[in-house]
Amino acid sequence: MFPLKTPGLGTRISLAFALGGLLLSTFLAFATQTLTREVLLRQRENAALSLALGNAQLAQSQITDDTEAEGVDDILSALQSSSSRPLVQLNGVWQGDGSGAFTQEDVPVELLTLVASGQPGRIRIALNDQLTLIHGIPLPEDNADYFEAASLAETESNLRSLQLVLIGAALTSTLLAALLGKYASRRMLEPLNEVSDAAVAIAGGRLDTRLDLQVAPELTSLANSFNDMAGALETRIDRDARFASEVSHELRSPLMTLAASVEVLENNLDQMPDRAATAVELLSSDVTRFQTLVQDLLEISRFDAGDAVLELEPVGIGEFVRQVARRSTESELATSIAPTAEEAIVDVDKRRLAQVMANLIENARKYGGGATRIDVFATADTATIAVEDAGPGVPLAEREVIFDRFSRGSAGGSRGIDTGVGLGLSLVDEHVRLHNGRVWVEDRPDGLSGARFVVELPVSDGEADGSWDEEGI
Amino acid sequence: MGQVGTRILTVEDDERIRTAVKLALEDEGWEVAEASNGEDALQLFTQEPADVVLIDIMLPGIDGFEVCRSVRRTSDVPIIMVTARADTHDVVAGLEAGADDYLTKPFAPKELSARIRALLRRVRTSDPAASHLAFGDLEIIPDEGVVRKAGEEVHLTKTEFRLLVELATTPGRVFSREVLLERVWGYGYFGDGRLVDVHIRRLRTKIESDAAQPQHVVTVRGLGYKLQV
Repeated sequence: MFPLKTPGLGTRISLAFALGGLLLSTFLAFATQTLTREVLLRQRENAALSLALGNAQLAQSQITDDTEAEGVDDILSALQSSSSRPLVQLNGVWQGDGSGAFTQEDVPVELLTLVASGQPGRIRIALNDQLTLIHGIPLPEDNADYFEAASLAETESNLRSLQLVLIGAALTSTLLAALLGKYASRRMLEPLNEVSDAAVAIAGGRLDTRLDLQVAPELTSLANSFNDMAGALETRIDRDARFASEVSHELRSPLMTLAASVEVLENNLDQMPDRAATAVELLSSDVTRFQTLVQDLLEISRFDAGDAVLELEPVGIGEFVRQVARRSTESELATSIAPTAEEAIVDVDKRRLAQVMANLIENARKYGGGATRIDVFATADTATIAVEDAGPGVPLAEREVIFDRFSRGSAGGSRGIDTGVGLGLSLVDEHVRLHNGRVWVEDRPDGLSGARFVVELPVSDGEADGSWDEEGI
Repeated sequence: MGQVGTRILTVEDDERIRTAVKLALEDEGWEVAEASNGEDALQLFTQEPADVVLIDIMLPGIDGFEVCRSVRRTSDVPIIMVTARADTHDVVAGLEAGADDYLTKPFAPKELSARIRALLRRVRTSDPAASHLAFGDLEIIPDEGVVRKAGEEVHLTKTEFRLLVELATTPGRVFSREVLLERVWGYGYFGDGRLVDVHIRRLRTKIESDAAQPQHVVTVRGLGYKLQV
């Protein structure tokens, strides 16, 4: 079962307009046609009647008792015109105009009967496929009945032309109505599109997006409700973010005491019994871990609160990575710095990028058996740093989610002595994105087992120089 | 280990932190005096000047910036401030208030000791020719810690002085931020470049006739700073 696709609102409005236009114009055309038809036919009939009466009178005056049949023919021929054909029954004998276009067979019986009873009358019939008006006028003085057929064909054809014009007009107005409908719906949907755009913007994290629908007063209440909702959402998210930030902040003071106290204990390890010394070592390593966690949480909550400030300075990416490698404790770590990278200058927040590199190397140590290689290369637009390890690699299905918070992937499932909490890679992602860069994980290009984390940063356009300091170098 | 008799004044309102840091610093061999607020700190400092002052920016009453400025008015003592975050304006504001270096909470006391040692390092003048340096109206006598501008003595903090002498050892050479960070503050490549920039700015207000148009300590765009010969 496939549900039928519901047509869009715009299409439906358009269709409704078209239908309305069609109905209205059809009705108007029909009315016009009917009225015009009546008026035109009546005019034509009146004209035909006067003509018939005139002709009948003329015939009556010319036909005398002694008029021969041929004479009647002549008289009738004279009366004949393009639109009227006379016919006379004189003393029971029918006389026509000789053209044979109108004979006694054509006269309907009702009219014959009527006229025979001495009453004039008229009747509309189809004669030779043409609408024809037949007048019957008794001529009692001559003991004759005068009939005249007047063709209404011309009127009919005029009416048909009118009909065509009206049909054309109806179709045109239907089309115009459809177009109007389309335009109206677009105008009407415009504010809705604005609403939609605003919703997308809010979903995308721009929480301060608000609607301004002044074009349509009817939509003010919608705009107000929308803005209230956005405001409430912003407050809520802001509060949550601040909460995380404040909690982490509050943790710093006790951590400070812990860190200093543990250091004092460590300074005195040699005076402690073994058991106590072991406990102090455990305490010390977990205080360090706790410290890292709180610092990571603080960093992340700053991103959430929109408080993260980039302190950019132009940095040679090749030298930067060399320094990272030098500081790293990985003994196997090889760096391959392409000549293009030696010249590439990137505007970076050194502290953040250093954390990105440290986290990637740490991640490789925890899950990939240690980083084996750092590749650096650059193009005119981007500088790329890739950190490789020789571990099991990252399964395709996890390549996105490993950058989520508190995600350790399948490799990090077991909580060993030295696993992290899963904030490292999400921080990497946040830092890199703050630099307008991208980070992803892929297979090693040499086909060996292992993951390759790639950080791509935009190369400096030479404009920025230490944005935090107008005297920056 | 710290030098014997070197006195550190720590200004911190949280008693537990203060005590723990004091214990750790004493283990490192320093002598530690404590103050729980700005007023006490300033009074204590007046009575018995310390060799290094450690100030938490978040203090009740007069805040850390103000304590920093007050100490700086009378003394060139190295000041280390403790901030909540590295990426706020607090750092620059603290440096501009006169601090020589900063740490973010929570820090390891060993790191603090390393910072103190770096700030207390003496100016090295192995080259006898460098005992008296002159650049236009600027005169530097490293061994005596004296700087004169147009014959008049200029008061520099210890860190400003070391920065100037570092630049003056090789006049005309461009020093990158990283090199200055290493030589003056003992940081490596990953130190905070703002330390250098703010100190250069402060130095200029003292030794330049017009800090906006420096004649002595000039910026070499994209590379670093140098002392104009």
